[in-house]
Amino acid sequence: MSVTALLEPQALDPQLELAELTEAARGDGAIVTFVGLARPESSSGEAVDALVLEHHPTLTRQSIEDIAVGCAERFDVSHVRVVHRCGTVPAGEPIVFAGAASIHRRAAFDAVDYLMDRLKTEAVLWKREVGDDGTKWIEPTEGDLVDRERWG
Amino acid sequence: MRIRLYGRLADAIAPEIGLAAGCSVGEVRELLAAEHAAVARSLKASRAVIADSFVGEERIVGESEKLEFLPPVSGG
Repeated sequence: MSVTALLEPQALDPQLELAELTEAARGDGAIVTFVGLARPESSSGEAVDALVLEHHPTLTRQSIEDIAVGCAERFDVSHVRVVHRCGTVPAGEPIVFAGAASIHRRAAFDAVDYLMDRLKTEAVLWKREVGDDGTKWIEPTEGDLVDRERWG
Repeated sequence: MRIRLYGRLADAIAPEIGLAAGCSVGEVRELLAAEHAAVARSLKASRAVIADSFVGEERIVGESEKLEFLPPVSGG
């Protein structure tokens, strides 16, 4: 069993993260991953050049680790890997990698679903969109909160 | 004492400010909310942190301590 939770200030390479997870999961039967990208358009349709993710020097990484550990304890998975960007993420670039390995696929699918629902609502990050119209702070949507409630 | 603010609070007030020591967390929160009405709601919903631990409203902030206000998070 391994749990990896990283806060990445530089560009995130999903291929590299998948390779790390694959290497760790040699004895498993399934790997499921999710890669979130910085959207080029806001929910109201305005162009977005970049997302800026402000973080706390210690509590942000701790919050990501708490979510990853919660995932490992809840599901029948052997490896959990979460890498989250902080700082400025240009539109179209990866913002988060979440992956889980398991003997069987179902647990890995559920684990990654859980990871993302909790990350979207609980990770200690303050996010703002930057575009032609200036900057706009983002908060979890009603849908994000409903998704989070599925896990109790 | 030093006060560190994050997110929209840092935008509206400043990332870091100084205040005279001896106030409680609640008193600092009320003072900032009164001075910065535009973010009063965010301030009231913020969690207070000293030395990486969440603290309550009655906690007195010492001269050498840093009080942090974490507004509601955006999530990842």
